[in-house]
Amino acid sequence: MAETICRALRDGSLEGEHAPALAIKDTIRTAFGVDVFDHVLCYMASTILAQKSQSRGLVLVALDRSPSLYLNLLKCRGIDVFDSYTWIRVLDCYTDPLGWKERVNALSQKESSETLFKDVSDLDKLFDAVIQLGKEMVGQGKARFCVAIDSASMMLRHASLSSLGSLINKLRSYDQVSSIFWLIHSDLHEIRATSVLEYMSSMVASLEPIFQSSNEQRCNSENLLSIENDTREGKFVVRLKRRNGRVKVMCEEFRVEETGIKFLAVPSESEMVNQQILPKLQFNLQLSEKERNDKENVVLPFEHQGNGQTIQIYDGRRSLTLKQNDSTTSVSVPEEPHTETDQGKGEIHYLRDSDDELPDSDEDPDDDLDI
Amino acid sequence: MEQYLSLLDQAIEEDKTRVSDGAGRVVLIQDCVETSGAFLLHHLMKRALSRESSETVIFVAFAQPFSHYDRILKKLGCNLITLSQNGRFIFFDMLKLDCPDEVGGGRTKSGLVDLFHKIHKATEVIASPETKKSCITIMIDDLSLVEVAAHGSSNYVLDFLHYCQTLTSEVGCTLILLNHEDIYSSSEQLTLNLEVEYLADIVIKAKPLATGLATDVHGQLTVLNKRSSNEHGKLKKRIHNFQFKVKENGVEYFYSGSRT
Amino acid sequence: MATAKSRASSFSRNLTSTGAVSYIPGIKHGPNGTTFLSSGIPDLDKILGGGFPLGSLVMIMEDAEAPHHLLLLRTFMSQGLVHEQPLLYASPSRDPRTFLGTLPSPLLSKEEKTLKNEQEQEKGLRIAWQYKKYFGENQPNLENSRDTRREYCSEFDLRKPMERHLFSAKFVECFSTLDSSNLPAFRDSCSRFLEKVPRTDGGVRCAGRIAIHSFCAPQCGYFNNEWDMVSFIGSLKNMVRSSNAVVVVTFPPSLISPSLSKRWQHMADTLLSVRAIPDEAKEMSKLLTGYQDMFGLLHVHKVAQINTQVPVILEASTFSLKLQRRRYLVLERLHQAPVDGSSGTSYNTSTSCSGSSKASPFDF
Repeated sequence: MAETICRALRDGSLEGEHAPALAIKDTIRTAFGVDVFDHVLCYMASTILAQKSQSRGLVLVALDRSPSLYLNLLKCRGIDVFDSYTWIRVLDCYTDPLGWKERVNALSQKESSETLFKDVSDLDKLFDAVIQLGKEMVGQGKARFCVAIDSASMMLRHASLSSLGSLINKLRSYDQVSSIFWLIHSDLHEIRATSVLEYMSSMVASLEPIFQSSNEQRCNSENLLSIENDTREGKFVVRLKRRNGRVKVMCEEFRVEETGIKFLAVPSESEMVNQQILPKLQFNLQLSEKERNDKENVVLPFEHQGNGQTIQIYDGRRSLTLKQNDSTTSVSVPEEPHTETDQGKGEIHYLRDSDDELPDSDEDPDDDLDI
Repeated sequence: MEQYLSLLDQAIEEDKTRVSDGAGRVVLIQDCVETSGAFLLHHLMKRALSRESSETVIFVAFAQPFSHYDRILKKLGCNLITLSQNGRFIFFDMLKLDCPDEVGGGRTKSGLVDLFHKIHKATEVIASPETKKSCITIMIDDLSLVEVAAHGSSNYVLDFLHYCQTLTSEVGCTLILLNHEDIYSSSEQLTLNLEVEYLADIVIKAKPLATGLATDVHGQLTVLNKRSSNEHGKLKKRIHNFQFKVKENGVEYFYSGSRT
Repeated sequence: MATAKSRASSFSRNLTSTGAVSYIPGIKHGPNGTTFLSSGIPDLDKILGGGFPLGSLVMIMEDAEAPHHLLLLRTFMSQGLVHEQPLLYASPSRDPRTFLGTLPSPLLSKEEKTLKNEQEQEKGLRIAWQYKKYFGENQPNLENSRDTRREYCSEFDLRKPMERHLFSAKFVECFSTLDSSNLPAFRDSCSRFLEKVPRTDGGVRCAGRIAIHSFCAPQCGYFNNEWDMVSFIGSLKNMVRSSNAVVVVTFPPSLISPSLSKRWQHMADTLLSVRAIPDEAKEMSKLLTGYQDMFGLLHVHKVAQINTQVPVILEASTFSLKLQRRRYLVLERLHQAPVDGSSGTSYNTSTSCSGSSKASPFDF
């Protein structure tokens, strides 16, 4: 399922459609969004390298962690970063997002995959920078690239919600962008901000604690150090907006391990989820014309018996005597379930509970009924 | 005494696998009115300044003046005056800093931006190839007062913190912050504390005993070490709980009920 | 207990070693290079280990319904006036100076009383064990200060107003926070005041007191400006830290947001709160001895921790405010009333049995 969303990002967008967008959101109680982000990033990187994905390159907007850390991460996960310049570009909004530093240790700027960006509050400029990096990497033609934003929360600190919304929208609708994903810490913002970003996305992956506490908002910070937080596990809930307009909700558990995050399938909880989605329903008591016709054409069990033979209706008494030669009647009372019957006929198997059970008596049970 | 690792030191022990990438850590100390967490700053300061290590401490004071720390550290066995003459202790007195957010105005170099420049310069001098003292610890003794100095602009404070954080990856220094958790317990004020919790690799929380004050036990500590792993790269327990007693010449840490 | 004892001993040692300085009235040396000012309430000084340290910020949380904070403020101010220490008083009233007319007058016959106290002690009056240590600490001090005719801590007769010449002197400044919608002006006058009592290396020559009454009262012009108020208190704390003065600020916590209140509580070096007690509460009178004489409760949340990392852990943090002979303010530890009838119930342990039966074992 984590696989599903990764694949959706890998497959990219269709012509004339918005690029698929994944929002990863977490809270302080399960602050493993970073690990999920890394997982997706590494997956994308490896598919790009293997040329299995639609995108030919990846532009990473790094706000939260340093670009070198990301390159290290890729290296640790066994991805060859030798000529990373050809397929990954990092827009470095981490080192100096507001231009406070007078001079930044001028590393060798040539052939480096990192580009410094010094004004995070101007998202229009940021958009131009992302597009420019992407184009430098994959060329002007039809080739596409993927965009990753490692902290939408950080962007919201510097820019307004609407400008972030329009940045994402512009990126998604840009021809050469094949997919986009970002991470947001939902408890840092008002609910509105999170819902806007969910609205802008085509997939939402949210990380939740396995045990949901009832009054979460308030307890958030207090619970940070509670015992249950000692685990590195959580629930991974994905809502996938499909092209056909359906929403696919999936749920998995994850565990953070030394080598990264691992996803584990859990017993389906779809019923519970469905109950939340479905409105309160009533039974349909009306029949359409066709349904009525169909209904009338149904051959009821007592009608389809026999196939031309004399119709025998079980009356309870004869069964004992006819038991041996009674294989043609489909309504029978076989003692053993393997009684041969005609194919395609319905049959009712009846096992006597025990020998104590008497065959039905011919007494009318309603004998004493006084109407 | 140095050989013996206290419970706190064990809990916040360096992550053996992450040392390699050279990035320092962010340690957040949270306390409340009933139990001050300042002693943890002193403990960590002493640890950094103790003779064996060649660490440099950059201390950004918003809460207490130099004389206060000087006296306390003297009792713990560190002479801050000598250390600062040797260049191993740099003290920024920011008690009188008052810097309303200057966003909108021209980029006047003042307030927190200026403070960051000072810190940045100091780290550059220390980390310059000639001196080659690798380990730097930056301490900020009261984050809530930084927010006060910025007149409540928590974004300004967070920007400042972000810049300090960039130093952890550039120069590999450790960033230690003290904040008062109970200020941020009401729902409308959460952001700063939460942001810093996301930022931190280690959170140390000082709380009073649930059973009330006692002279033998001054409170309890909970340490959350987000990315701790032992030498084999295996992940370790994230949370450690123990109690403490503060004395003039040090702090005793012990598991609850283990005091004789 | 252990900390209190060590405190006491180091305190007396300092006193003897710097004997020359101790002649300055109203100043007492404490541990870790601190110097104390008296709060004006002898019992409170003892609880706090000597008084308010110079350079500290004292915050008192008011009760929304009772004016007990005024008692603390008045005694603090009066004590300063007795020692002729410069005083700055600010309140949210049109004419703050009128408040000076309500300050209590010091009791002059202190020596008599001390003698009487000693006699009582000699008579073998049983004194609660937890108070005994205070006698050892206090006695030399009183004798020492007798020479100067002015004790470190006076006792005040709450019914007798202070003589006019004391508070009309020119070292008293008043400031009305009512109209000042701009805190900077207030801050300036505070800093001007504090410049008069700078901290020098050559010992303490003169100590100042600032008393701010109901700092965040709603009638103040700056009431809606929380950040201005926070940074005012913050800068006041930093100013006073580098001077020889003590600032006492009272504020009603119920009128401000919880986070602002917490900020101030963190800023305070010494944090006290006062509380009203319910009138004629049958339950309480059953639970507490001496309920009839109490008129309020004082809670000590934080004791100043200047130049040390060791927190002061008090044996009790809640004290009852009582008036003795309707004149003198005393603080007493709360004690559980003896359970009548069945003696030896498990919860009635040592804390209560020592002092509870004798409600007020000694007489200040």
